[in-house]
Amino acid sequence: MLKSLIYKEWIKIRLVVWIALGLSLVALINIFLKVRHDILFVDAANYWYSFLFRGVVFFSILKFLPFIIGLAIAIAQYFPETVNKRIKLTFHLPVSENGVLIWMHTFGALVILTVFLVVLVLFTAGSAIFFPSNIIRASLLTMMPWFLGGMATYFLVALILLEPMWIYRGLYTAVAAGFVTVFYTGASIGAFRPVLMPLALITLLLSFVVLFSGYRFRKGEM
Amino acid sequence: MYAIECKNLTHYYGRKLVYENLSFNVEEGKILGLLGKNGTGKSTTINILNGFLQPNSGECLIYGENTQLLTPETKRRIGFLIEGHVQYSFMNIHQIEKFYSGFYPNWNSAPYWELMSKLKVTPKQKISTMSCGQRSQVALGLILAQDPDLLILDDFSMGLDPGYRRLFIDYMREYAKAEHKTVFVTSHIIQDMERLIDDVMIMDYNKILAQQPIGQFMSGFRQFNITLTSPDEEIDMDGIAVNIDKVKDKIEFYTYSKEDEVKGYLNAKGITYTAFEEKKMSLEDAFIGLTRKY
Repeated sequence: MLKSLIYKEWIKIRLVVWIALGLSLVALINIFLKVRHDILFVDAANYWYSFLFRGVVFFSILKFLPFIIGLAIAIAQYFPETVNKRIKLTFHLPVSENGVLIWMHTFGALVILTVFLVVLVLFTAGSAIFFPSNIIRASLLTMMPWFLGGMATYFLVALILLEPMWIYRGLYTAVAAGFVTVFYTGASIGAFRPVLMPLALITLLLSFVVLFSGYRFRKGEM
Repeated sequence: MYAIECKNLTHYYGRKLVYENLSFNVEEGKILGLLGKNGTGKSTTINILNGFLQPNSGECLIYGENTQLLTPETKRRIGFLIEGHVQYSFMNIHQIEKFYSGFYPNWNSAPYWELMSKLKVTPKQKISTMSCGQRSQVALGLILAQDPDLLILDDFSMGLDPGYRRLFIDYMREYAKAEHKTVFVTSHIIQDMERLIDDVMIMDYNKILAQQPIGQFMSGFRQFNITLTSPDEEIDMDGIAVNIDKVKDKIEFYTYSKEDEVKGYLNAKGITYTAFEEKKMSLEDAFIGLTRKY
């Protein structure tokens, strides 16, 4: 059953996943071509200095990529379930209603996590060619809220899409927009370090909110 | 033994009462057709049966389980056709068969592929690009392959042309009878029901008007036409007629009484008439006679 469910979810999101990976690759190539160019024409020491002390972020092109990926995968996965209330078919499968939502959600989150890990690994590998480890570590810490924001976006968009009432959808969207903005406020190097753990915890808690929309749908809210 | 038991259902949308203390049962092995005008609660009933709506009070049981709390084992015994033959239209016919087969241990793909072989679709064609009739065959084929004990078919005729409707009905009737399946079905097109159902349940606003075997209903519910000798005469037939239509001197009325009872009633009331006629009705005529034209 799980294999079947994953099969269906993969059919819905696979195109978006390949596009997301392609876009990420293009963004990474762009970053490292620019870094190579700048280091050749400026010199490495000055370039590192501008990053460490003047807050010049050489990977800012990645900032909204996780948000876009989280948003796109959530829409690709959950919007088809809302068309003609197709979620009824999913809830009618011989699996518990919460169970089916948890599996769908876990699969979506794992796919996003995989895409993010691929991006982060490639970024780290590319950075290792040009930068010392402390710059790479600082870069990853700077990016972490963006990737957490991508995850939070996925969880919140799923909540919004499965919610049966438009007025609640509007309310959730307003709250979600305010909340997701927190992950993308400012870009100083490592500025989010002290709040990374709380943000990660909140993101983890958000993974369960989709069950509330599922519950409301099953109770016949409309 | 009942496949479906609904007891004392009461439901409101806001302040609007849909029905109050509605009770009905569906016997195992029977095909029951739920008929009703728009807004009388057909979809509400289907949603309650499928666990997508919690009634304000009362409960529905399917194979003894509350429909709000169906176990996966019981859900496996229920085939559900959503209004408009909604399916996962982002899949093609191979993908969707592969997907569903993983959920049902008794999955039998033969009837599905038999139906698919009649469709002029390409193997990789997405369901979203098929016609409504073709989609209906996909949805039907999937239900047949699932081999459920109970089939809940919500407005199966929606969007289908007469050929596909007939194909759907004939296939369903033959299958249900051969395999001793229970079917709960709604449709807007009432003439389709006559070929399909064993029992009829007719709903009106807030109540059930009739629930009985279709043969019994069709032989017991009658339409009589008379022509009044005094067209301006005010007539009162509340004691015998379920509904009455008067156009000038022509009276058309519907009743559960027999011809001699009707004549006796008219004579007792002193109503003088000519051209007494019992008119043979289709199920659609009977439905309109019972629920009125408006």
